[in-house]
Amino acid sequence: MGLVTWARTRSPWLIHFNAGACNACDIEVVAVLTPTYDVERFGALLKGTPRHADVMVVTGSVPRKNAPRLKRIYDQMPEPKFVVAIGSCAISGGVFQDCYNVMEGVDKIIPVNAYVVGCPPKPEAILDGVVKLLKSAGY
Amino acid sequence: MERVSTLDENVKVVERLTEAIGKDNVLEAKTPRARRAFISIKVEKLREAVTYLKEKEGITHLSTITGIDLGEEREIVYHFGAKNLALSVKVRVPASDPKVPSITDIINGATLYEREVHDLVGVYPEGHPDPKRLLLSEDWPEGVYPLLKTWDVNSLRKRVDGKEW
Amino acid sequence: MVKVSDREFSIPIGPQHPALKEPASFLFKVDGEVVVDVEPRVGYNHRGIEKAMEARTYIQNLYITERVCGICSNAHQTNYAQTVEDVAGITVPPRAKYIRTFISELERIHSHLLWVGVAAHEIGFDTLFYYVWRDREVVMDLLEMISGNRVNYAMNTIGGVRRDLSKENFPKYHKMLDILAERTKFYAGIATNEKTILGRAAGVGYLSKADMKRLCGVGPNARASGVDYDVRRDNPHLAYDEVPFNVVTNEGGDVLANVLVRIGETVESVGMCKYVLDHLPEGPIREKFSPMAKVQEGEAIGYFEAQRGELVHYIQSRGDVKPYRYKIRAPTLANIPSLAEKLKGGYIADIPIVLAGIDPCFSCTDRMVFVDEDKEKTWEMDGEQLRRYGIEWYK
Repeated sequence: MGLVTWARTRSPWLIHFNAGACNACDIEVVAVLTPTYDVERFGALLKGTPRHADVMVVTGSVPRKNAPRLKRIYDQMPEPKFVVAIGSCAISGGVFQDCYNVMEGVDKIIPVNAYVVGCPPKPEAILDGVVKLLKSAGY
Repeated sequence: MERVSTLDENVKVVERLTEAIGKDNVLEAKTPRARRAFISIKVEKLREAVTYLKEKEGITHLSTITGIDLGEEREIVYHFGAKNLALSVKVRVPASDPKVPSITDIINGATLYEREVHDLVGVYPEGHPDPKRLLLSEDWPEGVYPLLKTWDVNSLRKRVDGKEW
Repeated sequence: MVKVSDREFSIPIGPQHPALKEPASFLFKVDGEVVVDVEPRVGYNHRGIEKAMEARTYIQNLYITERVCGICSNAHQTNYAQTVEDVAGITVPPRAKYIRTFISELERIHSHLLWVGVAAHEIGFDTLFYYVWRDREVVMDLLEMISGNRVNYAMNTIGGVRRDLSKENFPKYHKMLDILAERTKFYAGIATNEKTILGRAAGVGYLSKADMKRLCGVGPNARASGVDYDVRRDNPHLAYDEVPFNVVTNEGGDVLANVLVRIGETVESVGMCKYVLDHLPEGPIREKFSPMAKVQEGEAIGYFEAQRGELVHYIQSRGDVKPYRYKIRAPTLANIPSLAEKLKGGYIADIPIVLAGIDPCFSCTDRMVFVDEDKEKTWEMDGEQLRRYGIEWYK
């Protein structure tokens, strides 16, 4: 494993993007940072800018107005990049399927590497999703 | 809220409002339970009614505005919140000419609600200082109002993007 | 500090914002460091829920209303249930009203603690953020014990509640509530004494009572400007006419007042929860409502004091199994005009904390683009940088 890959998988920097979510998944993502669940022990940090991020954590059912922004943020991330879709809405639109403004799934806009199920998923599940992604990337 | 009120406030306010704008201009008034009043008035008297509520009754808090597609007509409901009272003032406009006088200059807090009603149900607030689109995306086609009963989810998607999503 | 010039810059911020986790966009016109005008742009979270509700039955709509917002999910679902019960002519048993009140107040506690932590993070006080969110886990555990889930508790149905509270657990609940009371009082002390907080929050984002009323602001945000309006007292619903509590207001009108009002409300909520446990009436927890029942023709309006303020639901029914029209007005929309007013005349560095101060329920992860109209040069600042900009500026 090269030095850069080693550094990347030992310390993945996350960016969290809310693509029209109701906030339930988002507060559980933030909870993952707090002492009880503590994602920092995996070296993961939450950053505010896509240009420093390796992993994008996406929540939400992607309303139309939000879709181009999601794509733009994804495009701004440097390669290699990974996307984790958190929650039923990000996977398939969740309870908002058959709503006129909803794109029904993040993978309709950008490629997704890992799906974490739940409405919202518990912080333990989100941690599990991120760790599994890192394992599959060679951690 | 400083205005003094009692539990039959709903009935009293309806009576006073009816007297203020004239009995002929009130189409229907209901007080189905305590703290609730629904009054339908002619749209020409809307601004006068709102001004009366603000200046003489001290009812200045507009909670929101709802637009409803009734087919031949569109109904717009102005919901006011006060101590021991939720008063809804309803007006109707024809679907062939859906516009309503703006009340944003009387109640500044109405500004976003009037834009929302226009976006979703197509009723234009005449005299609104900034009647821009509020909720729908910039590339959403003009004249397509999602909450009209003529649209369902699939026909909307076809119309907006030319395809099913 | 940049000299005040007479060039105006337009700065669009959003739809990503660090303060709370929802998308919205703002266009700021600035003159040097001072904000001259604000244009809010919303709609990034517009999912078409009202239309979807017209195509679903009343029981199905319970699940979609819960997910309008994850932080006030119970508020939306409870207000939906009580609005439908109003138009259908259903009387909810007293025990159900008390249980609904209990859950609503627990949700208020979790939401206010969440907010205190996020606001602390916004001004760079991360230690406080971690402390508060650790203590918040107490109320999350309590909610999970009662409902089986940390978020989206699904406690309501049309006609009452779906789960009961069992008396054996009451001593445990009381102990957890006592811990919350003690921790919240600790945070109240910090808020009034810590120089870091006072420096960033006092005098910032001020709006007078008259302006707040004129712009129809709601909730703790309005009460922090001295507007004495709380739907629990002024349009009583659930068991609020029987459970004693104080309405917390503050004349300060700034972000510090917002902090004090919310912490004060959390203390009140803990007291209300304990009262409910001690006075829970016996009896059934729901009135029967069949999943495919038709609701009689009519209209009704439901007022509810959610965490962020006055929540309004309005229904028109035509005697069918689905509502003809359902309208939801969430409290943050009511607070946007007053928010825009608060930001005017303030510094760019204050934007994150003033925005966070109103406890907005549209998540913002932000991007800030500076446009120098004269030179046609653009450069970007992201959310982290905006936050750090604010912290550095105040050093």
